[in-house]
Amino acid sequence: MLASLWQQLSDSPVPIDSVDLAWAGLAPVMILIGGALLILAVDSLVPRRLRPGSYALATVLLAAGAMVAAVPLWQRVQDAERGPFATAAGAIMVDGFSVFATFVILSAVILAALSFDGWLRREEMDGAEPYVLMLLSASGGVMMASANDLIVMFLGLEILSIAVYVLAAMHLRKITSQEAGVKYFVLGAFSSAFFLYGIALIYGGTGSTNLVRIATYLSATVLGDSGLVLAGLALLLVGFGFKVAAAPFHFWAPDVYQGAPTPSVAWMASGVKVAGFAGLLRVFYLAFSTYRLDWQPVIFVLAVLTMLVGSVLAVVQTDVKRMLAYSSINHAGFILVAVQAATAAGVQAALFYLAAYTFMVAGSFGVIAVVSRKGDIGTSLDDYRGLSRDRPVVAFAFALLLLAQAGVPLTSGFFAKFYVITAAIEAGSSTLAIIAMITAVISSYVYLRIIVAMYGAGDDVPAPRTIPLPAAAGLALVISLTVTMSVGVFPGTLASLAERATPVLIPESDPGAVDPSGVPPGP
Amino acid sequence: MSDFLRDYLTVGIFGLTGVALVGLLLGLGSLLRPTRPQPQKYINYESGVDPVGTGWGQSNVRYYIFALLFVMFDVEAVFIFPFATRVDAYGWFGLIEMGIFIVVLALGLLYAWKKKVLRWV
Amino acid sequence: MDNNEFLTEWGLTLMVFLPLAGALLLMVIPKAQEQMIKVAALGAALASGAVGVAVLANFNYDSSEKLQFVVNRNWIEAIHANYIVGIDGLSVPLIALTLLITPLVMVYSWNHFPQPHNPQAFLILMLVLATGMLGTFVAQDLILFFVFFEVVLLPMYFMIGVWGGEQRQYASIKFFLYTLFGSALMIVSFLALFFVAGGDSFSMVDLAQGVADRNAAGNLAMITQVLIFGGMFMGFGIKVPMFPFHTWLPDAHTQAPTAGSVILAAVLLKLGTYGFIRVALFILPEAAVKWAPYIGALAVIGIIYGALGCLAQTDMKRLIAFSSVAHMGFVMLGIASLTTFGLNAAVFGMVAHGLITGMLFFLAGSVKDRFHTLEIKRLGGLLLQAPKLGWILGFCIMASLGLPGLAGFWGEFPAILSAYNPAPALSQELFRTYMVIAAFGTVLAAGYLLWLFQRTAFGTPSEEFADVEIEDVRVSEWIAWVPLLALILVLGVFPNIIFHVTDPFLTVMGNTFAGLK
Repeated sequence: MLASLWQQLSDSPVPIDSVDLAWAGLAPVMILIGGALLILAVDSLVPRRLRPGSYALATVLLAAGAMVAAVPLWQRVQDAERGPFATAAGAIMVDGFSVFATFVILSAVILAALSFDGWLRREEMDGAEPYVLMLLSASGGVMMASANDLIVMFLGLEILSIAVYVLAAMHLRKITSQEAGVKYFVLGAFSSAFFLYGIALIYGGTGSTNLVRIATYLSATVLGDSGLVLAGLALLLVGFGFKVAAAPFHFWAPDVYQGAPTPSVAWMASGVKVAGFAGLLRVFYLAFSTYRLDWQPVIFVLAVLTMLVGSVLAVVQTDVKRMLAYSSINHAGFILVAVQAATAAGVQAALFYLAAYTFMVAGSFGVIAVVSRKGDIGTSLDDYRGLSRDRPVVAFAFALLLLAQAGVPLTSGFFAKFYVITAAIEAGSSTLAIIAMITAVISSYVYLRIIVAMYGAGDDVPAPRTIPLPAAAGLALVISLTVTMSVGVFPGTLASLAERATPVLIPESDPGAVDPSGVPPGP
Repeated sequence: MSDFLRDYLTVGIFGLTGVALVGLLLGLGSLLRPTRPQPQKYINYESGVDPVGTGWGQSNVRYYIFALLFVMFDVEAVFIFPFATRVDAYGWFGLIEMGIFIVVLALGLLYAWKKKVLRWV
Repeated sequence: MDNNEFLTEWGLTLMVFLPLAGALLLMVIPKAQEQMIKVAALGAALASGAVGVAVLANFNYDSSEKLQFVVNRNWIEAIHANYIVGIDGLSVPLIALTLLITPLVMVYSWNHFPQPHNPQAFLILMLVLATGMLGTFVAQDLILFFVFFEVVLLPMYFMIGVWGGEQRQYASIKFFLYTLFGSALMIVSFLALFFVAGGDSFSMVDLAQGVADRNAAGNLAMITQVLIFGGMFMGFGIKVPMFPFHTWLPDAHTQAPTAGSVILAAVLLKLGTYGFIRVALFILPEAAVKWAPYIGALAVIGIIYGALGCLAQTDMKRLIAFSSVAHMGFVMLGIASLTTFGLNAAVFGMVAHGLITGMLFFLAGSVKDRFHTLEIKRLGGLLLQAPKLGWILGFCIMASLGLPGLAGFWGEFPAILSAYNPAPALSQELFRTYMVIAAFGTVLAAGYLLWLFQRTAFGTPSEEFADVEIEDVRVSEWIAWVPLLALILVLGVFPNIIFHVTDPFLTVMGNTFAGLK
């Protein structure tokens, strides 16, 4: 029987076009997925428990390996002769933008994995699952960032999301974690449905799900009736808005951030946000730049709402995780300001912001994971009183990270906000810039409250307690702090990287200029 | 009205039509059909057998895992059968692809097994 | 010659960053080595001061209207921000003031650091503060300026928030949020200005040129300039602070530890007025003309309001804080007149206020140290218990109310006088009205200051302190105060020391305004 199968396969007339895959272009995703499966297999097959920390180490190494695999891609897309390229029948685009986003997502993986290690041991939940889920989720994120087709984008979105739902509900003994998981899952499933419906409508309106073809079609054809496309665009925005926690699709964020295991939140606030914005930018800039005048006002309103909700509601919170949840909504609003600019400078600003924010927020949640007590409790503001005495270094690092989030100069947060505001003013949205800065001031009050709690002396300081600082978590803190501060003094390197990651996204007046070689010949 | 706004009008009309259509059909149905309510008509359909207990009765959560595993292999079958009928057309590429697919699923099963999910506790 | 080249190239940079280097050094010294920490901190401040003195000694005072010691390096190419530093006649007096105050404050704190006792952290913050302040005065690039301007904010916030009084958390957050709010609008203005002026440089000179060119070509809408000026007005006005943004100041001053109060009064408030002249007036002269009447109005309101506020205070430190609002009102009035005369008066006023109010806060701190209260009605008879302290207080109060022959006079009197004859584009009647109101403010100032002096220094000590042994001026206090007292006297007798330096630059600026209709 095998012989006949052999015969059959060898004689195959190959009537189906074999898809030309540039494996190098897919290497980061492959490493992430393969690594996740490998860890899962090892976890299932090895009879005894591995040394503690092995999975975290493996995850960090895998992410670092994926980064290494992405370096030649960056060199290739920056090379004037070779340039960006599309692969997998034009469904995946490897350009500066996607590689940049890949690097940021992988950094988030490393930071979250380091933070997970000590946390899992404290909670006595040591196992491979969180790392596997995070790697898979990261592969979805990378897919989203490099998707050149709405279907692939959806695929990435789902791979990303489903793993994160589980990550949110991972703490079995904590009821709020379960609640977070269910809430996130139900609302997330809703938003995915919206997203899918949006894809369907856009397919109906333009006849393709490929971003380049959509762009080509829309610029070459004057639609007598663009209703379908607009409705589809709106639905896509709902899907993305949910993922990045933009108001009014933000309602899940505070509850989920508060309930979910803290290192999972570190990943959610950094990696997931990056992937969501990468997808948003790619779809709106690349495919629908001709509809700029339609979506810009919508994003304007979303940005204002998001920033206001994120800053004002944060003020009344008493739980540090909830505070940072609202502040992350505020940050999402800032990035939307950059998106709204709809210029190359806007994309650059958004990428810079995402990269800077990833390190700030992953570091901050890393601190929260360290300070909290067994059972993942102890995240209220009162638990931070006296931290400067119990753990002066951690308190100082946290203070710096919070100040960076507030946008104080000499931290990366300042330049992140600076670039966003520059892009907004250059694009003529000074109103938005002013609103953004005012909300930044409001939300800085929140960071100050935390700092005051940590450094305030007085009668209400609780008795000293020992706060163990796992080595891996310490390393994560050092990394995020180093990046935050060094980018704050010399933002040039990151800025120029972000600048070089930008231009491919926006098609020139001739959309064919995006990368005609990547577009497969039409049927 | 400008063309710009007319586009949005289309969206509105589209949505309204959708809602109206559902309402129309349901309304039409309720007008046309005879209504003779009887208790038997409200019993859940259980393949012709009278149901035991209420429809909200709890089932053991352990079945849930079996359901999941079933769905997993159900989906697997959905992909494998069409592939098998055209195995020659896909050639080696298809065979390897399907191999990876099955290995990934098998890995999931292995994981479930090792986690003692398959054992009835 | 080699020496000079080195100074030209590195002098300002060294002066600005030596304190920061000192702060980093302090971080690695173990906490237990307190003496070493103090010596290292003072060493860093003095080293910065020595470099500063060398720079100021080599400064060419005959052409002080020109930027000197200019260093222009690439910093962040992506946003066209450069590391441009340089000094001219406007910055020299303020740099000198900063270089003087920082070590003095350290010496003053030498043996009694505020509680909670942590000299290491306290001195680190002080050194960072010094870098921020000096940097603001030398920066010639708007982004660099903004960064330094903001860097000042944090150490001050921590100084008030950690070492402050009972209400420190409220006061520190209020201080931080007010200032940050101003800065937030200011940075938007800076960016708008960048694009308006051509979008290729943040250098102040280039920006001013760009705006002037577009104004000359007549294609820059006045409303744009006025709005951009408005953002800067918020940023600098809150820092000064001008009425109605002054409410953070009394709280911050009252709660801050002595060292913080002194630096706040002596240097920090000057960042606002300096920014007005260096950035807002220099780059947007046409908009300044439109804003001047309103700035003048707020300035005189501040003078009267500050004075009335003083009369209502029961706390000595709070009273001095409110007097700051009034004094900065005089400075702003001088600026609002947009004349060479008024601007000179304003710069002199900044230095004089820095010396005098700095001294007053030192004194308030010492009184608090001895009596553990600053409530005016519980004090009294200082001249009997600690005569030297009492007479120094009297001297500073005389200087503060503008007694001729002391430094305060030369800041106040010309500022009032300048409103008599404002720039030609401004309404003479309006500014003469301002002048009358401001003059009335000096009467009130005399009233509240003498009242303060009478209630605290004259009479007999109150019963509760009658039997308490009160220490007179200590050695560390003498070291910290003598330079300030001497300068108050010297500048009062020879005001030309400062006017000579500032006049050339401000004449150029005044001529610009004189040419505007």
